[in-house]
Amino acid sequence: MNPNEIFSLALASSEAGKEGAEHHHSLLAVFVYFAFVLAIVFTLLSVAKKGFSPRGFKGFISQCSEQLYLFIENMCVGTIGAHGRKYIPFIITFWLVIFFSNVVALFFPVAPTADLSFNLGMALCSIGYVQYEGMKANGVFGHLKHFAGPKLGLAMIPITLMIFMIEVISEVMKNLSLTLRLFGNIDGGHQAAEAMSKLAGGAAGVHWIPAGTLLVPVKFLTCVVQAMIFCLLTCVYLSLVTHHEEEGAHAH
Amino acid sequence: MYNFIGYGIAMLGVGIGIGLIGFGAMNGMSRQPEAISKLQVAMLIAMAFVELVFLLTLFLGKGLIGG
Repeated sequence: MNPNEIFSLALASSEAGKEGAEHHHSLLAVFVYFAFVLAIVFTLLSVAKKGFSPRGFKGFISQCSEQLYLFIENMCVGTIGAHGRKYIPFIITFWLVIFFSNVVALFFPVAPTADLSFNLGMALCSIGYVQYEGMKANGVFGHLKHFAGPKLGLAMIPITLMIFMIEVISEVMKNLSLTLRLFGNIDGGHQAAEAMSKLAGGAAGVHWIPAGTLLVPVKFLTCVVQAMIFCLLTCVYLSLVTHHEEEGAHAH
Repeated sequence: MYNFIGYGIAMLGVGIGIGLIGFGAMNGMSRQPEAISKLQVAMLIAMAFVELVFLLTLFLGKGLIGG
């Protein structure tokens, strides 16, 4: 399948809506792999000794990746604390996958992060890992006790039970919020570009002119910010479940 | 049709909310330029949570009213 064919299929499936759902799913897989390949190529280029032409790109890729590493390191150490350094590979993987999937969304009408299922998968990975780390840091019962809030005494058992249930629900809703935020921003970008193209076409008296392309800089900003926010929120959740260990050691 | 009016109202509230966050962050940044990096991170997190309200409105509006 050549690129033109893929692109026309993508256009058809995005316009056909539910009728093109099957195409949409196979295309989604193609674009997921596309994003992964972009991320891997970036990583390989950054570790390669020679990048592009040394005249134009003197260490460009390696500088980019070093900046990215410093950025993520700052984020992890600043949010989680000194022990946040060991989460850098996890967070940086998320950043690369989300960023390159968002970049795919800049140029194509179908993108991995403009699909709920891909985002839900990533959110489940993130929150699942947070639970795992919480259990590793506090023990299984310590982690569950963490949901029940402060110790209130015997008379307050119904309140504690209620807090526990609310905390569990909020833990589940974290998945949903991560999913919907990413999906809404990227899919919203698509819809805004489409609406703008239709509007400009209507003003010019034709069906459609690609004025939505003017949104690409704004959408690129959204790409970076959304990748950052997903990573930042993962860091915050990790810090919430793991930062009690030092305090607990002092308190008890 | 009505869900579009609802989206408009939701957008109004969220716009005010994000504006207030930006206002507070700008004030803080101008008072303490050395704290800019910390303030930016907190500002982005707060913005993400406010923005989520609008996205939830969008999904609920689509799901319940069927826009």
